Amino acid sequence: MSLLSALWVVPLAGALACALSGKAARWTALAFAVAALVLSFIALKPIVAGDGSAFNVVMGAPGAFGVAYSLTADGLSLSLVALTAFLNLVCVFASWSAEVGPGYWACFQALAAALAGVFLAADLFLFYIFWEATLIPMFFIIGLWGSDNRRHAAVKFFLFTFAGSIFMLLSLIAVVVAHQRATGVWTWNLASLMGTDLGSAAPWVFLGLLVGFGVKIPIVPLHTWLPDAHTEAPAAGSVMLAGVMLKMGLYGLIRVAFPLMPGPTESWMPILGTLAGINAIYGALCAMAQTDLKRLIAYSSIAHLGFCLLGVLSGNQQGVTGAALQMINHGITTGALFLMVGFLYERAHKRGLSDFGGLAVRAPRLAFFFGFATFASIGLPGLNGFVGEFLCLSGIAQSPILFAGLPFFAILGAIGVTLAAAYALPAYQAVFWAPEGPNSVSVRVGDLDARESGILWTLCALMLWIGLTPSSWLSALAPSLKGLLR
Amino acid sequence: MNPLASSLAPQAALAAGVLGALGLGLAARPKALWGRLLGALALLAALFALRLAPPDLLPPLISVDMKSLGWQLVIYAGALPLAVCSAGDDVETALLLGATLGMGLLCVAGNLLMLFVGLEFMSLPAYLLVARAGEGDRSRRLEAAVKYFFAGALAGALFLLGMALYYAQTGLLGPGASALGPMGRAGVSLMAVAALFKIGAVPLHWWLPDVYEASAPEVSAFLSTSMKAAATLFLVRVIQIAPDPMFAAVLPWLGAVTALIGALLALRQERLQRLLAYSSLSHAGLLILGVGAWARLGADPQALASLLFYLGAYALMSNGAFLFLAASGVKTRAELRGYAARSAGPAAAFAVLLFALGGVPPTGGFVAKLLILWQALRAGLGVPAALAAVASIVSLAYYLGLVRDMYFESPEGEPAAAPAPADAARARLIMLICALGALALGAAPLIYGELSGGLWK
Repeated sequence: MSLLSALWVVPLAGALACALSGKAARWTALAFAVAALVLSFIALKPIVAGDGSAFNVVMGAPGAFGVAYSLTADGLSLSLVALTAFLNLVCVFASWSAEVGPGYWACFQALAAALAGVFLAADLFLFYIFWEATLIPMFFIIGLWGSDNRRHAAVKFFLFTFAGSIFMLLSLIAVVVAHQRATGVWTWNLASLMGTDLGSAAPWVFLGLLVGFGVKIPIVPLHTWLPDAHTEAPAAGSVMLAGVMLKMGLYGLIRVAFPLMPGPTESWMPILGTLAGINAIYGALCAMAQTDLKRLIAYSSIAHLGFCLLGVLSGNQQGVTGAALQMINHGITTGALFLMVGFLYERAHKRGLSDFGGLAVRAPRLAFFFGFATFASIGLPGLNGFVGEFLCLSGIAQSPILFAGLPFFAILGAIGVTLAAAYALPAYQAVFWAPEGPNSVSVRVGDLDARESGILWTLCALMLWIGLTPSSWLSALAPSLKGLLR
Repeated sequence: MNPLASSLAPQAALAAGVLGALGLGLAARPKALWGRLLGALALLAALFALRLAPPDLLPPLISVDMKSLGWQLVIYAGALPLAVCSAGDDVETALLLGATLGMGLLCVAGNLLMLFVGLEFMSLPAYLLVARAGEGDRSRRLEAAVKYFFAGALAGALFLLGMALYYAQTGLLGPGASALGPMGRAGVSLMAVAALFKIGAVPLHWWLPDVYEASAPEVSAFLSTSMKAAATLFLVRVIQIAPDPMFAAVLPWLGAVTALIGALLALRQERLQRLLAYSSLSHAGLLILGVGAWARLGADPQALASLLFYLGAYALMSNGAFLFLAASGVKTRAELRGYAARSAGPAAAFAVLLFALGGVPPTGGFVAKLLILWQALRAGLGVPAALAAVASIVSLAYYLGLVRDMYFESPEGEPAAAPAPADAARARLIMLICALGALALGAAPLIYGELSGGLWK
C-alpha cells in the first residue's frame, strides 16, 4: 500500500480495532493515532525539505462511469492531514480519563480517517464520499457524548452539512456531465475536469459549490449550525470540529471550486469578499454578545474563518499563504481554547462567563495557558496568530479588489482583527481575573494535572514555534497555492 | 434447448414452485419449514435459470434482453426475504410465488396484452397476501386489502381502456405505431396512469400508506421492493411500446413532486411502518424521475442501468428496514427510544439501513441516488433534480430522527416495549445481510468497476 493510502487506511483500521478491543480501546486509539501522526510526518518531510509541488500521486484505473481511486498530495493537503493526525492524538490524550466506551474512540479514529481522505482525494467522487463520511462519526460524537442539548445539535449539524453538500453534489455531477459532452470521456478526476465550460449553467453550478463549501466554512448566513454543534460537542469533539472540520470548507474552495470554475470565481469575487468581510465582523460582534465561554469561542471561529477567506480571495502571495497558515494556526489555537473550556467544564459543570472569577489564583497553570492561547488567537506578535493575520491583512490591502477606490475589504478585515481583542480579552478577564462573585463556582476548579498541562505545553510551544519561525511553514505551503495567484 | 423455452425457464421454475406449494397443502401436517424452503428454492432456481436465457430474443409476445434479465434479478432476489420470513404455509408460499411469477411475466412481456396478463397475475395474489399474512388485528389487514384491491382494479381498468383506445387507433398491441392521434395519445396516457397508480405516484398514492401500514412488515417489504420494481418496469414497458414525447416532459416533474411530498408526509409520522411507507413513496418519486430522464435521453441504456441499480439497492434497504420492524417488534418511534442500549446489533444494522435510505455515503443508497441525479442532469433536468435533492434533505431529517431516537434518547417510562416476536431470528439474519449488502454497494463504483462497467455498455 502506498504511503498516501496508508494515511487514511491506518486510522480506519484503528476505528475497527478500537470497536473490537473493548476496555483496552483507549490504548488501541493511542497506538493508531501515534502511527497516523508518524506517517503524516513521513509524508510531509520531503515537502518541507524540497520544492513542495505535487508530491505523490496514486492513480487507479477508472472503473464504472469514470470513477477512479486516485489520491494526490501537496504541501497544503499534507499539512492539513498532519494537523488532523496531531489534533486526533491531542484528543486521545485529552479524553484519556473520560468514562466512555470503545465507540467513542472508534468514532474519533473514523473521523480522522475520513478527514485525511477529504484532503487527499484527487477524484471528486472519492472526495465527496470522504466529505460526507466525516458527518457520521461526528454525529455520534456530538449526540452520544455531548452536553445537555446534544441531540438537537447533532441532527442540526448533520442536516445542515448534508443540505449544503447535496447541492455541491449536483454541481459536481453537472461538471462531469458537461465534460463528457465536450470530450466523450467520463471522468471524475479533478485535474481533468478543470476549466470545463458549463455555458449558461455556470453561475448555478458555482452557487451549488459555494453553498456546499460555505456551510462548512461557515459563511454567514449558513452558519447557524456551528454555535450549537461546537458548544454541545464534547471537548475533544469541539477540537476536531473547529480545528479541522472548519478547514474543509476553505480547502474545498481552494482545491475544488476555484480551480474548477475560474470564470465565475472571478466575477463573484466582490460578492465573496463582502460575504467574508461580513463573516469577520458579524462573528466578532456575536462573540462579544455571548455569555457562554464555549459559545464565544465558537463564534470567534466564524470571524477567524471569514478572515481566512478574505486572505484566500486576495490573490497575491502574502494573502494566500497567510490564509493557509492561518488555517493551521486556528486549528491549534482554537483547539487549545476548546480543550481548556472542556477542562473547566469537567471540573465546574459550568461555562458561563459570570460563573467564574479569580481563577488566576485558584488555577494559575490554566490561567497561563488560557492567556497564552487567547493572545495567540488575537494575534499578538511573536505568536502564530500574528503571522497569519499580518500576512492576510497585507495581502488584502494590496489586492486589486477595491470598492470606490478604497481597500474596502482590508478595512473590514482590520475592524475584525480589532474586534477580536474586544471579545477575547474581556472574556479572559471575567473568568480569570475578575473578583469571585457570590455565585462563582471557581472554588470547584482545581488546577491542571500533569497530563492536561503536558497537552497544553505542546500546543503552546507549537504556537510559539510557528510564531517565531514562520518562513519554513510558509515555504511548505506556498507552492501548492500557486493556482490562487492572479 | 429451445431458445424460447430457456428464456422462460425462470418463470417455469416459479410456476413449478406454485404447484409444489399447492401440493404441500395435501400433506397431512405440512411443516412451516417446508413452505419456506420451497419458496426460497423456487426463487433461487429462478435466479439461477436467468443464466440460461439467450441474450437477445424478440418474438412478438416475449421479449428477453439483457435488461429484462436485470429486472428479473432484482425482482426475484427482492422476494427472497418474504419467502424466508413468511408463515410458510402452503397458501402463503403459493401466493408469494404466484405474485413473483406475474412479475416475471411482466419482465418478458413484449406487447400490451402480455403486459396486462403480467399485471393482473402479480396483483391478485398480492391482495390476498396483504389480507392473509401476519398476526394480530385481522380486520385492519382486510380493510387494507380491499383498498388495495380497488386501487389495483381501477389501475387494471384504466390500463384496459387505454389499451383499447391505443388499439382502436393504431391496430397494434405492440410497438411500431408511427404518429399517434388524440385517441391514441389518450390511450397511452391512461396506460401510463395505470402504471403510476401501481408505483404510487402523487396524487395516485392514497392507497399506499394504508396498505403498507396494515400489512405484515415482511409483506410490506415485498410490496415496496419487488412490487415496486415490477411497477416501475411496467411504466418503462408502456413507454417502450408507445414512446410519446409527453412522458419526457411530465414524468420528471411528477417524480420530483412525489419525492418531495412523500418526504414531507413522512416527517410527521409516529408509527414506523407508516413512516417507512411514506419513505417508500419518496423513493418512488426518485424512480419516476429516473424513468423520466431515461425517456428524455431517448431510451438510453445507461439511464436504464441506473434505474436498475437504484432498484437493486432499494431492494436491500427497504427489505432490511421493514424486516427490522418484524425482528424487533418495535412499532412506534416512542418504542424505538433507547433501543440501541437494549440490543446493539440490530440497532447498528438498522442505523446502516437508515443512512443508506437517506442516501448518505459510503452506502449503496448514496450511489443509487447519485446515479438518478446524474441521469437527470444528463437529460438537462436541473430543476427537477434540485427538487429531488431538497426531498432527500427532508427525508434525511426523519431517518436521522430515527437514529437519534435509537441512540441518543433514553426510553420514556417503561423500557423494553414489545418483546421481540417468537421467530425473529430469521428476520434479524436477513436484515443483517441486507445491511451489509447496502453498505457493500456503496463501494460499487470503485470495486465492481468491471462488473457494472459491463452493465453500462
